[in-house]
Amino acid sequence: MNDFLQPSEDEAKEYLPRYRLLYAVIVLATIIISSRLWLLQIMQGSELRQFSERNRVKETKLPAPRGLLLDRENRVLVDNLPGFDASISPQYAKRLEETSDAVGEVLGVPGRRIADDVRKSQRRDGPFRPVKVKDNVPLEEVFRLKLLRWDHPGLSVNESIQRFYSLAQNGAQLFGYVGEISKEQIPKYNDFYQGKYVFESGDIIGKSGLEETWDTTVRGKDGTSYVEVDARGREAPTENSNYFGFQPEPALPGHNLVLTIDKDIQEAAFKAMNRQDSIGPRIGGVIAMKANGEILAWVNTPSFDPNSFSTRIPTQVWTQLVNDPFRPLRNKVIQDHFSPGSTFKPVVALAALQEKVITPNTYVNAPSELKFGRRVYHDAHRASHGNITVAQAIEASSNIFFYKMGIQLGIDRIAPYAKLLGLGAKTNISMAHEAPGLIPTSEWKLKKLGEEWQPGENLSNAIGQGFVLVTALQMAVAYNTIGLEGKVMKPFLIKKVLNQDSKVLQEFEPQVLRDATQPNEFGVTIDPAFFKVVKEGMRRVVSGERGTAVRSRLTGVEMAGKTGTTQVRSWSADEIYKRCDSRPIFQRHHGWFVAFAPADKPEITVAVLAQHACSGAYGGAPIVKDVMQAYFEKYHPEMLKKAEKEMKSLTLKTPASVNEEAE
Amino acid sequence: MRLAGDLLSTGLQVEERNRFSRLDLNFAFVILALNVIGLINLYSATHGLFSKDRMDLFWMQIVWLSVGWTVYLGITLIDYKVFLRGAYVLYGLNVAALVAVELIGKTSLGATRWLDLGFFRYQPSETMKLVLVLVFARTFANKSFQGGMGLRELAWPVFLLMIPWVLTVKQPDLGTATLLIAIAGSMFLFVGVRRAILIFLVIISAIAAPIVWNFGLKDYQKNRVLTFLSPGRDPRGTGYNSIQSKIAVGSGKVLGKGFRKGTQSQLEFLPERHTDFIFSVLSEEHGFIGSITTLGLFLILWLMSIRIAVQARDKAGALIVVGTLSYMFWHVVVNMCMVIGLLPIVGVPLPLLSYGGSGMLTTMVGLGLISSVAYRRYLF
Repeated sequence: MNDFLQPSEDEAKEYLPRYRLLYAVIVLATIIISSRLWLLQIMQGSELRQFSERNRVKETKLPAPRGLLLDRENRVLVDNLPGFDASISPQYAKRLEETSDAVGEVLGVPGRRIADDVRKSQRRDGPFRPVKVKDNVPLEEVFRLKLLRWDHPGLSVNESIQRFYSLAQNGAQLFGYVGEISKEQIPKYNDFYQGKYVFESGDIIGKSGLEETWDTTVRGKDGTSYVEVDARGREAPTENSNYFGFQPEPALPGHNLVLTIDKDIQEAAFKAMNRQDSIGPRIGGVIAMKANGEILAWVNTPSFDPNSFSTRIPTQVWTQLVNDPFRPLRNKVIQDHFSPGSTFKPVVALAALQEKVITPNTYVNAPSELKFGRRVYHDAHRASHGNITVAQAIEASSNIFFYKMGIQLGIDRIAPYAKLLGLGAKTNISMAHEAPGLIPTSEWKLKKLGEEWQPGENLSNAIGQGFVLVTALQMAVAYNTIGLEGKVMKPFLIKKVLNQDSKVLQEFEPQVLRDATQPNEFGVTIDPAFFKVVKEGMRRVVSGERGTAVRSRLTGVEMAGKTGTTQVRSWSADEIYKRCDSRPIFQRHHGWFVAFAPADKPEITVAVLAQHACSGAYGGAPIVKDVMQAYFEKYHPEMLKKAEKEMKSLTLKTPASVNEEAE
Repeated sequence: MRLAGDLLSTGLQVEERNRFSRLDLNFAFVILALNVIGLINLYSATHGLFSKDRMDLFWMQIVWLSVGWTVYLGITLIDYKVFLRGAYVLYGLNVAALVAVELIGKTSLGATRWLDLGFFRYQPSETMKLVLVLVFARTFANKSFQGGMGLRELAWPVFLLMIPWVLTVKQPDLGTATLLIAIAGSMFLFVGVRRAILIFLVIISAIAAPIVWNFGLKDYQKNRVLTFLSPGRDPRGTGYNSIQSKIAVGSGKVLGKGFRKGTQSQLEFLPERHTDFIFSVLSEEHGFIGSITTLGLFLILWLMSIRIAVQARDKAGALIVVGTLSYMFWHVVVNMCMVIGLLPIVGVPLPLLSYGGSGMLTTMVGLGLISSVAYRRYLF
């Protein structure tokens, strides 16, 4: 072992004289610090105590007004309104009972409750946190409270900004709502923004919808004001510079967003969904999209009024909303994915044509049932369709026809076409919480579920059941692509970002994601001729003799679309024809209708999902019709008028006049 | 039966009691007292109006304290020579950690000081302070210098000091770098340095100071010093903390404003009040009585440490105690002087009172080492 490890008492003694120096240094330092403490705390104590009293220059946050949300014609959809709130600071409220009683009398709240709230907060957060007594105080109460302030130290009335959603329930999921940042969110947000924004408790942030997705654009930058408060908590004017001479920093308002939304179409869509017919107000969503990808309407129902919790949501209301089985808080048009049902058939038709399984003129026998393997597959119709072409199959929505296509194509030859059209992947529209949907392949199933793809599954998936899942927005994109015969447009919601002087900071142009007729990353292309064939079938869905969506016919404008009815659960053979509306609501089918118009040169695509509405024809088609009607009345009234005139001239011709003509 | 049991246990008991009585309980009680003051104070500092997101720190500190005490007792029972044997290994590991910080460290507030170990952020420069104490204790333990160390004897220890010092300056962490010098310097002086060298050093620093000022310091570092010399020159910026801290301390007067009632602390006039400015919170809320009691407890701790050093079994033990003592001493003195406006603002925490896992653990390890020396001392 090294010799330094040997105990060596003698050597240790060598250090003894040095300890005196050590003592001296330590004692000296202690004396210096003690004297300084004596000087500061005893000699200058009273003076510095006064400083600290005067030092209540409170740095308070001036919340920045959030940017406005405007529609495509600059009509205000989401606004800011000035408001007031009242609060009590426990540190200054020496006569809390009296103050609470006086305040309670003005506000019409029991004084006891106010006092209890203040005490509770004081126990939890200490005496310095002001306790909010009421948000959004009406003006007449503001004046009475302001008078009370002089007799009741600790009471304060502050200006605040209330977010106002002018459409109320309409578009609540689109615009979203704001609320105080939660305790859990603070570190997450601060980590994410790395000092670009610093969040504190009490800050208002966008909590859903565009308010959440575009929060950093809309939120602006909070300012600071330095308010000098006296020892009783009353604010003193700040003109005479305080101890440090701080300059206030004004709040910078957030940027305004000009949306692609058209308020008129949005309102028409909301009204259409809340119609009072035999089915009743629809549960689900509507997307109306211009052919260039601009979203005109974005509606989810049932809805809620975000104005009721622009500041603080009563717990009761919140739990009710969260537990509502119809889920009013969700953006159903992108957040939930569903089986597309028969609305998937045009996609399969395109695949079948392109893969040369059929030609546009191939007749296929479509009886009322088909035996495959050990199962018998039924058509929705009890009678046979006979020999039909692909266009007729779309028109009549023949299941058997598309079962046969599914058998011959197999899922792996369908999937690339569906994906090419925009299904089964996020559209990446600038809105949080988008669901991807799903277009299955045999490889996917093996990887995800560890099972081989069964031949029978080709049948169910070919008619949009089984694993296939899409969102309403994806359906709108896909159908718009069919309408445009190949151009896949990116859907978007924001046209422009404006600053407060209405200067355009950012502008968003329509974007062609890809052209389905040209080579692309999905490895398949679609011949423009085949788009025409499928479109013809979809035109007949609305206008044809056997069409399933004649209820959406619009005089003057020809639409093309496809209905879809998707089972919420599978039924046994004897139950399958049972009347849908005789079942409990959560067992009823979902209805789809997706269409574009005009059929030859589409300008608008509307996708409607009506949950538990039993059928697409009854549940979805009338809504699409209303939205289309609103659109063409606004943008092409001449088309509707012309048709009206023609109709009139037809009906005005009396039998007599016809006879005259005949002569 | 009972008799047999008694007989059997007596032998053990003597041994046990002996072992227990050798623990320096008074020393432990002083530490405990400071811990209690620290926790009460930290609770106030982390449960203010604006500190909702900091509340967990209080509970984290309790966790660190428990870990710290476990380590303290563990180290007490281990012969400190074990640590001396491993001193160079620890030194190598610690330097490696400092290099790792340079390469993959966590950046916060412009400085890269931490390694993210998942459950906590390890700050290698903090542990380096103690590792240096061990390395120097080992280097000097078997040597005797007549008339103090000369250049040749100083070369190796200074080299050992410079490696971590340069790495710390690079982070940049001027506070810790200065403390490394202070701790090492104290040990060098304790062992003895030739007078000629000391005079030479004074002259050199007088010449070097303006050069370092002009070329070696960053603007914010210069600002701190300038502000210290005249706090009024930028009251909103760098001088702000110093002024506010002085106001906080002074306004506590004799008895203080009371627990959780310090306006300076609770209304956020004090920055970093749970770490570097924890003593301002204490002085404001508990007045002269509180601050002088705390300082008094530290003084008692130091005086006890010196006594332990005097009674140490060997030179190595004495050196470990003196080194750890200087670690404690400089931290406390620099931190308190900063808080009461006697030194510029540098980021040095107050041992046992400030929040922080690395600091708490290092301090408890250091105190454990002193306790370990005490456990094996000669009782005169």
